[in-house]
Order: sequence, then structure tokens, then C-alpha cells
Amino acid sequence: MSAASVRAEAKRLLALSLEGGVVSSELVGAVLAALTKSRSAHQLRPLLRAYLTNVRRELARGEARIEHAGPLSPADADAIAAHFSKALGRPVRPVARRNDALLAGFRVRVADDVTDLSASLRLANLAKSLS
Amino acid sequence: MTFLSALLAADAAPAAAKVAATAAPAAHDAPAAAHGPVDTIIQLFGSFGVDGPHLLIQLINFSILAFVLYRFAIKPALGQMEERNRLIEKGLADAQAATQRLAEAQKASDAKLNAASDEAAKILADARNAAKAAVEAAKAEATAAQTEVIAKAKAAIEADRVKMMNEVRGEVSRLVVETAAKVLEQNLDDATRGRLNEAAVKQLAR
Repeated sequence: MSAASVRAEAKRLLALSLEGGVVSSELVGAVLAALTKSRSAHQLRPLLRAYLTNVRRELARGEARIEHAGPLSPADADAIAAHFSKALGRPVRPVARRNDALLAGFRVRVADDVTDLSASLRLANLAKSLS
Repeated sequence: MTFLSALLAADAAPAAAKVAATAAPAAHDAPAAAHGPVDTIIQLFGSFGVDGPHLLIQLINFSILAFVLYRFAIKPALGQMEERNRLIEKGLADAQAATQRLAEAQKASDAKLNAASDEAAKILADARNAAKAAVEAAKAEATAAQTEVIAKAKAAIEADRVKMMNEVRGEVSRLVVETAAKVLEQNLDDATRGRLNEAAVKQLAR
């Protein structure tokens, strides 16, 4: 299979794995089971790699990865996720991780979009404006 | 007449004797004495050995001699003298012409020298003007080059200064930010960070 056909097949498999616009673990399991039965090993490997990339990207599209300094209450995390769900028009769930290097505030990444409200970014911008 | 008088004076005595001797018979020959003084003179000349034929022959001889002398001695000598005179006159004329030509040549030489002197002065003046112009051009070029070098040096110094200032400013900013970050990291407690996070959430919601 050519790379283009692999990408197209992986895209089709991802579409089969969505349930209500969200990746479903059951559907992913079914797709993988069907693939292992219908494809040979040498065809399966590049297709699975492309499928994994698409699933990860789709999962990232549905996650708000929040890096925060200090404590962040679950209510605040949910508020952040609700904000991005409303802005992007699709359900987004919060995934929080503490990172004190940000000094204060938080940085949110949804798919390829990054929103930074941290004190480290403010200081970096201040250093840039001073230099 | 002088020659004849000298001859008569020198031979007066013997001639008188001869005349006396001949006068006696002459007295006897009266018709002979009656011939006149011409005959007497002739006879007198005859007594001296001067008679007509001899005289004629001597005249002829003298004429021949004079002709020969004139033809072969005097005339060539005169011709040579005339030739010599002509040569001398020619030499004098040539000398005069040479003197005149020398004077003309001297005049022409002086004129050429004057012209050459004027030309040399003109060439010298031109050379001085050209040298002056070249010096002025070189000065202008050197001044322009100096100005350009100074401008470039100033620009390089200014660029270095700006670069250094930027580097210093960046370094100071980095140090300030790092210091601020360390101070914040050490001084911010979780309660403060929590309040800041809540404020950030509210800011995001706006």
C-alpha cells in the first residue's frame, strides 16, 4: 500500500471509531480485531501506526491538557474545559498536571491550540520587551 | 732724345776726330756736303752702327720679342693676376655672404632659442598646472576616502554600541526575569498560587 492509501485507510478507520464525535474504546477494539483478521502482518503495521496517530490526535482534540502551578481545584479545571468546549463546539474534558515551573497560573493545550495564562510567560514577555 | 744725347756726349771726342777726318775729304766732295742735315744725321747714325735695315730688323725683332713676351709671359701673368683678383674678390664676396649667412643663422638660432624657451616655459607651466591639479585630485580623493573610512568606522562603532547595548539590555532583562522567577518561586506558596489560578480562570472566562 502506498503512503497516501495508508493515510486514507487510517482516516476511514478513525471515522469508524467515533461515537458521537468522541473516540469510543469499544469501537477502537472492534476495529483492531477486524484489522488483525483481515490484513496480513506486513500491511497491518503501517496502517496501525497511522491509525494510532489519528486516534491520539482525535483524543487530543477532546482533551484540555492543563498545566498549572500550585493547586487547581476540579471546579476550576471543569470551568476551563467548559470554556474550550464552548469555544470549539465539541466536548472537551480536562486533564490537569501540576507544573510549578510556570510559577503561577496555567497553560491549556487543546489539540494544536495553546492558551497560556502563566506567570512564566508574562515574565518571558517582559524580558523580551526589555531586551 | 736723352738716349741719343748720352750717346753723343760719351763719344764726342772720337766722333769729332772721325768727323774731322771725314770733313777733309768732304771738302773735296762739295756735292756730298750739299745733301743737307738729314743725310748728315743718317751718316752720323751710320757711324754709330745704326742704319735703316738694322734698325728695321731690330724693330721687327723687338716687336716679335714684345709679342712673344706679351703672348706667353705678360698675358698669362695678367690672366693669372686677374684670376687671382677674381678669386680674391670671390673669396671676399663669399666671406661677406658667409658673414651675412652667419648673422642670419645667428638670428634664426636666437629666434629658435627664444621660441624653444617660450615653449619650455609653456610646457613647464602646463606641467606645474597638471601637477597641481593631480595633487588637488589626490587630496580630494584622500579626503573622500578619509571621510568614507571615518563614516564607516562611526557606523561600525555605532552598530557595535547598539549591539552591545542590546546584549547588555537582554542580559540584564534575562537576569531580572530569572531573579524575579526565583523570587516568585521561593516566595509563592500554594495558597497564593491557588488564588492566582482562580483569577486566571476568571480572566479566561471573560
